[in-house]
Formats: sequence, C-alpha cells, structure tokens
Amino acid sequence: MNENLFTPFSTPTILNQPATIPIILFPTLLILTPKHPINNRLTTIQQNLTRFTLKQMMMTHNAKGQTWSLMLTSLITFTATTNLLGLMPYSFTPTTQLSMNLAMAIPLWAGTVIVGLRFKTKNSLAHLLPQGTPTPLIPMLVAIETISLLIQPVALAVRLTANITAGHLLMHLIGNTVLALSTTNLSMALLASTLLVLLTILEIAVALIQAYVFTLLISLYLHNNT
Amino acid sequence: MPQLDTSTWFTTIMTMLLTLYLIMQLKLLNMNPRQLPLTKNPNLQTHNIRWQPKWTKICSPNSQSQQF
Repeated sequence: MNENLFTPFSTPTILNQPATIPIILFPTLLILTPKHPINNRLTTIQQNLTRFTLKQMMMTHNAKGQTWSLMLTSLITFTATTNLLGLMPYSFTPTTQLSMNLAMAIPLWAGTVIVGLRFKTKNSLAHLLPQGTPTPLIPMLVAIETISLLIQPVALAVRLTANITAGHLLMHLIGNTVLALSTTNLSMALLASTLLVLLTILEIAVALIQAYVFTLLISLYLHNNT
Repeated sequence: MPQLDTSTWFTTIMTMLLTLYLIMQLKLLNMNPRQLPLTKNPNLQTHNIRWQPKWTKICSPNSQSQQF
C-alpha cells in the first residue's frame, strides 16, 4: 500500500535513462516566442500574461530590485506551468521533488540576503531586532529572529513540495475510492463531485506559485529597501 | 518516500538549473515585441532646434582657445 501510493513521485526512467530531463525541459516548449510585430492569439495571450504578471510583481520594487525581474518572471512561469502540467493524469511533476525545490529556494534566498547585507548592511542587520523590545529580551529575540531568517529557504522548499505532493496524493486516493465504490452507485456520485471540487481547488496550485514567488519577493523587498 | 532517494538529485537539480536559468530566461527575453515603426514619436526632431544664447558664449573661439 505504501509502495503503491508514492510511486508516482519517484523519478521516472525510460529504459533506465532518466526521463526527468525531458520532463523538466518540457514547459519551455510551451512558451512561444514571437517573431513578428503582431502574432497569433496564443502568443499574444502569453505575452500579455507575462507583461501583466511582470507589472504586478515589479511595481513595488525600486530600480535595484527590478534587476531581478527576469529571474522572478522565469521562476513564476516555470513553476506555474510545471504545476499545471502535473495536474494531468499519469504525469510527473518535478516540483514534487524536494531536490529541485531546495535547489530553487536556497540560492535565491541566499542571493537576497547577500544583496541586503552588501548594500544595506545596517538596515538588513537591524531587521533581526523588532522595534520596541525591552532590553533584557534582546539576546533571545536576536536568536529567534536569526532562526526565523535561516529557516526561510527550507520553508519555501518544503512548502512547495509538501503542498503539491499532498494534493496529488489526495487526488490519487479519492480517485481510487471512487473506482472502488463504483459498484455501489450511491456513494460514487458524491465522491465524484468531491474529486471534481478538489481538482478545481487544486488549480490553486497556481496560487501556490503566487505564494512561492511572493514570499521570495517579500524577502527581496525587505532586504533591498526597508 | 521516493523523494528522499538522493541518487536522482543530481540529475534533477542540473536539469532544473539549465531550464530555469538558461532556457526559460532566454525565452522570456525574446518575448518582448519589437517596436512597430509607426509607434515612434515623429515629433522628437522638432523638439529643440533653436540655438540657445549660452552656447554662443561657450562655443565661441575665444573661450575655446583657453581650453586645452
């Protein structure tokens, strides 16, 4: 039972070759690049979406923060398309792999911390102590704030992994239940509707990407400005 | 949990780095459309072509001979 549940999350192999490489590269094929001044509808839709998310994300940043706009736009596009593609049956979602999420989270978070420490050393260090704390509490509070800072990348990675994995697992389980109960028709309709609702709620996987990029943005913002 | 099997971690991470940092960013860079020729402002040339008197003072031969 345990083995069966988690096998969708093991990295796929075709003839013992890792199939993760084309699977991870696949979402880039879906991003169309325009060649003409006026393109077809799909390209224009993608362009408008990209421009819209870019504007929404980068509005709150100053010039220095906006140098990160390409990185963050590619991050949100990659994560969104990967998660949405994983909603298809029998597909493999790379973002369920802790390895990938850690490799995404740790360098980006470290980048924001280093930028903050390098260009605004006093400001970023001052974030370790909230305003108005009584003096005897200061050492403890600095320790707590440091821990909460150091846990940010781990939280980012594990949040994404756990949410996507849990959603996929739940869909598997409910699907199996519906199949097993199909002989007794009464419960099946109810459970089928639950599965449908869960699927649409799972398109809040896109909201999860928002959460990912947004939390990254927040730390970037805090480290760049005040 | 198969996600904790570290044998595949290297492949996954490398591919993700390639995709995210290279290919995706190249695609997004090429997404910006070239500007239509008509959208350029045609009035740019007529902006300021009047000779300002202060330039006469700066550009006159007397003042320029003092600069080396």
